[in-house]
Amino acid sequence: MIYDFFYDFLAAHFSPLLSTIGSWLIVFIIGGLITLNVPIFLGWVDRKLSGRIQARYGPVYTGPFGLLQNVADVIKLMGKRFLTNQVIDPLIYNIVPIAIALLGFFMVFIIPWGNANLVLLYVPFNLLFIYIALAVSPLLVLLAGWGENNKYAMLGGFRGAAQITTYELSLLIVFISVALLSGSYDITTIAAAQSSVWYVLYLPITLVVFGISSLAVIERGPFDIPEATQELQAGWKIEYSGIRYGLFFIAEYVRLLVISMLIVYLFFGGGNGLFLPNYLWFWIKTSIVTIFMMSLRWVFNRPRIDQLINIGFNWLLPLAVVNLLIVGAVMFF
Amino acid sequence: MESSDTIKGRFPTLLSDVVSTNRNETIILLSDKTKLKTIVSEIKNHFDILFMLMVVDRPPKVFEMNYIFTSYSKNDILTLRVDIEHDDPSVDSISNLLGSADWEEREAYDMFGIDFKGHKDLRRVLLPEDWPGRPLRKDFEVTDEVRNWTGLDLKF
Amino acid sequence: MENKNRNKITINIGPVHPSTHGVLKFVVEIDQDTIKKVEPEIGFVHRGVEKMAEMKYFNSFMPIADKLDYISALNWEVLYATTVENALGITVPPRAIYIRTLMCEMQRMMSHLLFLAHMGEDLGNTTLFMWGFRERELLMDLTEEVSGGRLAPMYVSIGGLYYDLPEGFSERLLSTLNIIESKVKNEYKALSYENGLFKMRMVGVGVISKEQIVKYGITGPNIRASGVKRDIRKDDPYLAYDKVDFDVMTETAGDCYARFMVRVNEILESIKIIRQIIKDIPSGEVKVKVPWIFKIPPKYTFVRQETPRGEAAMYMVTNGDQKPYRLKIRAPSFYTIQAVKELFVGSKVADLVAILGSLDPVPGEIDR
Repeated sequence: MIYDFFYDFLAAHFSPLLSTIGSWLIVFIIGGLITLNVPIFLGWVDRKLSGRIQARYGPVYTGPFGLLQNVADVIKLMGKRFLTNQVIDPLIYNIVPIAIALLGFFMVFIIPWGNANLVLLYVPFNLLFIYIALAVSPLLVLLAGWGENNKYAMLGGFRGAAQITTYELSLLIVFISVALLSGSYDITTIAAAQSSVWYVLYLPITLVVFGISSLAVIERGPFDIPEATQELQAGWKIEYSGIRYGLFFIAEYVRLLVISMLIVYLFFGGGNGLFLPNYLWFWIKTSIVTIFMMSLRWVFNRPRIDQLINIGFNWLLPLAVVNLLIVGAVMFF
Repeated sequence: MESSDTIKGRFPTLLSDVVSTNRNETIILLSDKTKLKTIVSEIKNHFDILFMLMVVDRPPKVFEMNYIFTSYSKNDILTLRVDIEHDDPSVDSISNLLGSADWEEREAYDMFGIDFKGHKDLRRVLLPEDWPGRPLRKDFEVTDEVRNWTGLDLKF
Repeated sequence: MENKNRNKITINIGPVHPSTHGVLKFVVEIDQDTIKKVEPEIGFVHRGVEKMAEMKYFNSFMPIADKLDYISALNWEVLYATTVENALGITVPPRAIYIRTLMCEMQRMMSHLLFLAHMGEDLGNTTLFMWGFRERELLMDLTEEVSGGRLAPMYVSIGGLYYDLPEGFSERLLSTLNIIESKVKNEYKALSYENGLFKMRMVGVGVISKEQIVKYGITGPNIRASGVKRDIRKDDPYLAYDKVDFDVMTETAGDCYARFMVRVNEILESIKIIRQIIKDIPSGEVKVKVPWIFKIPPKYTFVRQETPRGEAAMYMVTNGDQKPYRLKIRAPSFYTIQAVKELFVGSKVADLVAILGSLDPVPGEIDR
């Protein structure tokens, strides 16, 4: 709990009010820096990985191994002229990217970074809070599709809302099954409950459901149907440019990382492991899961929106419910 | 080539032979353009598609229409040649007999200004609606109007 | 009336759109995500090729002929050269005929590899896109080695070829063919035609019936996917195709997946053809001398050949001048693209991309 650490540190020297403000400031700055740097680093990993898969190099020239390519991209995006069509709804148009980036920031804020103490601000039931941060996005997607005043954006917005709403349900049921098994909605408690057996052994099907649903909810390829480049060009993001577009990138990679961390926490025992320290185990697992989740995009093509929704309602949701019932029955008896 | 003999046998007064130097090709000449649809509906029994429609501008008298028919099952090519007057370039449309004639006739209308009577949707196909002139005609000249055409008057 | 149309949106797909493979435009009326009406609009890259032919000497038209369909330039070069040669009545040396066949098949492979690549891109799989280009690049390098050009090689001249093949070309070509064969059979299989998600998007989508084939005059791989066994190379052989042994690849389903598979199999057939040609290629001259400017007596010349997109044909009318009096070009994509009026209706917007990609149109050829 980094907030408490700084509060205790400052309270020794300053008044309580001052230390509260000061520690909030410090935590906000740390959270903001993490939120900014995750997409820069993960974006580089993504580019290099796709480059390796597709028989090309990826970024090479900017910095060592092209590490600074995304920094350069951020600078470029910030320097871009604001360009959009003339008849937009300015309030909605501007609020959506900020809200989406803020949701990413919120998730960074409350998720533990490998250790129960390495969390910027401890909130009880943090799994539910993260679910809320993921689940509020269909509203934003619809708003963006509406506010841009573009037919492609509209189509993308509707697709996005339909897709995310479908898969949120399975996501929630997965969370409930895991919480039922461990008896808690607290991420670190769930991880600690797996010290002997990882939940992936109890709930392998739930893991598959979670993997697919989470990719669909964060609109990461192969399920990037709402922004399908080939049909809708960029879907509901079509009229965004410059740093507003950059904010979507921040959200995309932060959510990808959060999803991978959740998979490790919920199914692979968090930091539990032999010999090595906890946080090291956690990050090894998270890197593997993140790279796996990323590479799916480069191997599969996009399904169609009706096919995806059919799979969601006809297969994943029933599977998740059946799993939940089994877990409930086992826990009851 | 039996099929083209059959067609010629059915309309001996209208059709006459032209010697072709091309492999598998038979050229028949139609003397009366008003009988085009009758002939084509007979040709349709032997050939599948209108392979292409070549219009040759031979000023000052005629536009020479070459309808080339082929089929998917045999190698025969049938060219039906019919002359239409240069002053009144109009002929019956065969697009309701052979669907593949649809855009070909539109293209001929586009490039030569030939009026296909009975065509459902006779618009320009390659050039913009307000393009000045019929470019493949021999008397087409690159005038200032053509040179300065920007397409900005188009209504969307 | 207003209530009825309330849910309908008209969107313009194109002219500048990533999935139209160039500049094509479709005015699409959609109800939710289902297409109700399509109106294709073409002509955005109309360059007046037929008019240009009337203004140029026979030899000077060659660079324009290979820019008609910039994906399969050599096929069109060969088609135009054959048309003029037939009109002139000259015979091309046998070595030139064999090399032309070889280059045509190489071009067909390049075109089909680009098709596979774009099919992957259209469905959102960028890896297939990059891999298709990777293999096409090997053939592009070989084309460059032979002719000096990559996209528009200008290799075929009237009366033969400009140059003979370079030293050691056939060995390099054979090793390239081995690479491509193994990639298409193994790597592409995993990524595309045996991949579950890929099949989900392709199987049963955009079925072309036999009635539609006749109605629109579609030719080429698109009809072979519907079970029509028609290939000019086999049925009305030209170049050296009667001297090589190959099969006409057909599928029966007629959907996007069948069209994809026909092209995959045609790549493998082209490899088979090229291997035979390299084995029996005769030696000798590659060119008969034809003056730069010549006259052709009044004549009608008709030539049709099988390009990667279907049956292409040229009908040339000469009148004893140094330039053709009229040159009519039949571009197979011009007919294929008409079929979208029926194929798109009732499918989803995402299927539009898949169907259009699987028809493999090239705007340069459609618009001439």
